[in-house]
Amino acid sequence: MLAVEAFRATDPVTYEESWSTASVTAVTGGAYGRAYLGSLQLSAITAVLGSVLGLALAVAVLQARRGQLLRRLVLTASGVLANFGGIPLAFAFIATIGNAGVVTALLGRVGLDGFSLYSMTGLALVYLYFLVPLMVLIIVPALEGLRPQWREASDVLGGNAWQYWRRVGGPVLAPPVIGATMLLFASSFAAYATARALVGSSIPLVPLQIADALSSNVLVGSENVGKALALGMVVLVGLVLVFYTWVQRRTQRWLR
Amino acid sequence: MTATTDHPTTPPVAAVPGDRGGVGVRLSGLTRRYGDVLALDGLDLDIAGGEFLALLGPSGCGKTTALRSIAGFERPDAGQVLIDGRDVTGTPPAKRGTGMVFQAYSLFPNLTAAENVAYGLQVRRRPAKERQARAAELLELVGLADRGGRYPHQLSGGQQQRVALARALAVAPQVLLLDEPLSALDAQVRVQLREEIRRIQLELGTTTVFVTHDQAEALSVADRVAVLRAGRLEQVATPDELYSRPTTSFVARFVGTTSIVPATVRADGAVDLLDTTRPVDGSVPPGDVVALLRPEQVLVRADDHGTGRVVTRTFSGGTTRITAVLPDGTEVAADLVSTESTHLVPGTAVDVSPTDRPVLLVAAADL
Amino acid sequence: MTATLPTTPSADMVTAAAAPRRRGGGWRWAVLAVLGLYFLVPIAASVWFSIRSNGELTARFYTGVPTAPGFAEAFGRSLLLAALTVVLSLLLMLPTMVLVDLRLPRLRATVELLTLLPLMLPPIALVVGVRSVLAWAPDYFYGTPLAEAFFALQEPALPWILVLVYVVLAMPFVYRALDAGIRSVDLRTLTETARNLGASWPRVLLGVVLPVLRTAVLNAAFLTVALVLGEFTIASILGFQTFPTWIVEISGSQPQLSVSVSVLSLLVTWGLLLLISTLDRRRAGKDTP
Repeated sequence: MLAVEAFRATDPVTYEESWSTASVTAVTGGAYGRAYLGSLQLSAITAVLGSVLGLALAVAVLQARRGQLLRRLVLTASGVLANFGGIPLAFAFIATIGNAGVVTALLGRVGLDGFSLYSMTGLALVYLYFLVPLMVLIIVPALEGLRPQWREASDVLGGNAWQYWRRVGGPVLAPPVIGATMLLFASSFAAYATARALVGSSIPLVPLQIADALSSNVLVGSENVGKALALGMVVLVGLVLVFYTWVQRRTQRWLR
Repeated sequence: MTATTDHPTTPPVAAVPGDRGGVGVRLSGLTRRYGDVLALDGLDLDIAGGEFLALLGPSGCGKTTALRSIAGFERPDAGQVLIDGRDVTGTPPAKRGTGMVFQAYSLFPNLTAAENVAYGLQVRRRPAKERQARAAELLELVGLADRGGRYPHQLSGGQQQRVALARALAVAPQVLLLDEPLSALDAQVRVQLREEIRRIQLELGTTTVFVTHDQAEALSVADRVAVLRAGRLEQVATPDELYSRPTTSFVARFVGTTSIVPATVRADGAVDLLDTTRPVDGSVPPGDVVALLRPEQVLVRADDHGTGRVVTRTFSGGTTRITAVLPDGTEVAADLVSTESTHLVPGTAVDVSPTDRPVLLVAAADL
Repeated sequence: MTATLPTTPSADMVTAAAAPRRRGGGWRWAVLAVLGLYFLVPIAASVWFSIRSNGELTARFYTGVPTAPGFAEAFGRSLLLAALTVVLSLLLMLPTMVLVDLRLPRLRATVELLTLLPLMLPPIALVVGVRSVLAWAPDYFYGTPLAEAFFALQEPALPWILVLVYVVLAMPFVYRALDAGIRSVDLRTLTETARNLGASWPRVLLGVVLPVLRTAVLNAAFLTVALVLGEFTIASILGFQTFPTWIVEISGSQPQLSVSVSVLSLLVTWGLLLLISTLDRRRAGKDTP
């Protein structure tokens, strides 16, 4: 099964190389270059924002007093939004701040408008709706791994909050947080359904360009462009993975 | 309501060891409530300077809460904590001059053993040289001089607790607090480490409070043992006194092995116990009482006409424990010299009687 | 939840941990309030959006869902795909993971890495690969039964190819759910006890392993169902109609209906997950009093 899977993933490579490198070079410039830039920008911003907000939410939920119910509600909701997301989210946002959205109408009444859901900012807003829950899901186990004794030991030894977080809490939490941010980046980078339902293909993003290239019957060879674009994605995600393992190894010296 | 047979009642005065130079700790009227649960119920306790005091009790008795109140992690609802005569009830943990060793997993996982030990000096901004020297000194003290570069996960459980002890001692605390530091360790390591903790404590003379639920542990290392029950102090005494002269039936049953044997106090003040009659000291009204017998206060002799029957025979080296059952169903444990009890196999008819040593009597309603 | 600590903390430890230790929780409530609004407003707005029609309140966009044209067919197909994916995933993963746990513990890290890989692989890139295979294979195998098989895989009424791809996509989730279950029980001792009592291997698997892991299996199945019911990218690019592609298709002509279906699907999934986690807790509560 995995062999088939790997075969599928690498298939575009062989296809490309056996014929020409034209498609590959095509995707590094012009409109396709812009798509990569747009995708990278959007993913980087949403990954960082998502991990910061998700971390804050996870900490707040875990520390809430008598928070059992709150905790269960947030964790299950996170499970739904992070895994099920996509299409339903897009439509929920269209109904909220789309052109005919409920909140759009409310804001319009008080004279506020000009925000477009169908823009990069709008997309980021929607992406965060599943990235923040994803962060919560990934980071909660790591936060639960922070033992209260560590903080108490630091306290009793005379350390203040800042010293604890700088010398112990931060270093212990850094690897999982960085890892989670990478995963958020990959997830945001790969997201297609939400973008497709929201903006069609009016915004330069790699997944949208791939879908376009695949469905286009007009342009000869566009199928190959799609494959080259997909190959680029896989390569980029691979780079992220390599970077991730390097960071983990540097930050987790104490586990070896 | 308790009384003993045969010997004059001694008031429960605790023998406080002579001052060893450390600072004293006083808890007065300490009360802490969690919702409906009263964890500490007006606890009063005096700990002498340089003393090694064990806080002993079943889980939920408030011993950990008491320790955490001294450390400053718990703010009592009422009462005071005094360290060296200074009221520290509202002082944050960092400023109390205490050192603490936790149950387990308290070492910072991202720092080496030496860095862990030096942490307290680092947050006090001491120069690196001093930190390294002090860490090396403390690691030497706990017998881990060659393990300074290891990370916690590379150390065994016993070694981790030694490092935790060194870390707590590195800042030269006035009071050392140990929160069941041995409970996560193997039996053998546990005995070894508790003796080492005691050795180091005697060497440094630091006032030490040691929380445990293991009575053998408490009796073997402490100068005095304070037995807690439901947030109150039952008795505080030296291990010897606690064992031989418990002032309450709870202490008698919690510390050491105890057989509970029905007895009757007669109108003339004497007591009938296991077919013997002996005088009573203290105030137990006539009627049914129970006697709390230690295994070494019971004699078991083979006797074809005896009413008891041997149930189990457990060999443990020099002594052998015999459990016998009486006709009314009472089970009595007795420790006998092994070589003299080989014939007492299960099923043997025996005669069970108390030795001449004083016996604790409790009104049956108190149990 | 209790299984993380190797030693059970004593009762006074537990109460001590539950006590408030630090002040300054203001930011916590600020975070909860702001993010709470962010997450609740779109849902509330969607509900409001989907119960209005020409200025009146109406439930017809909800009651009308089952009879909406195309709904039954698309939703039914998605459910069928989900069921097939669950069965195939479990048949593949459960024996593999039990085997690795019992017999080949050294392979654990490798299996974990392999099963987590699809998490990093963008579905849109995966689908490009799948399309290439589908385009190339029938030509290559022309005239052989294999070519027929490839056409059968793409039958629009029941596209087996989607099931195959979804099994791959679901692998990380199935793995993590089952792994959590396997780690929380001592499978080796359990199976050895059963074998010692005279049970055969198939009996051990069906009679001991499966019941012990039933919560984990339920979790894995649920996550897979949610994934399949929500998956849009692959179905849409390969041109099959499933539940999500149907929502997008009708959104142009009936925006309220698409929103009401979206809200319903989110809330129903959440409710089911909440139910499973409640059952899970009850059972855990019974096991460790």
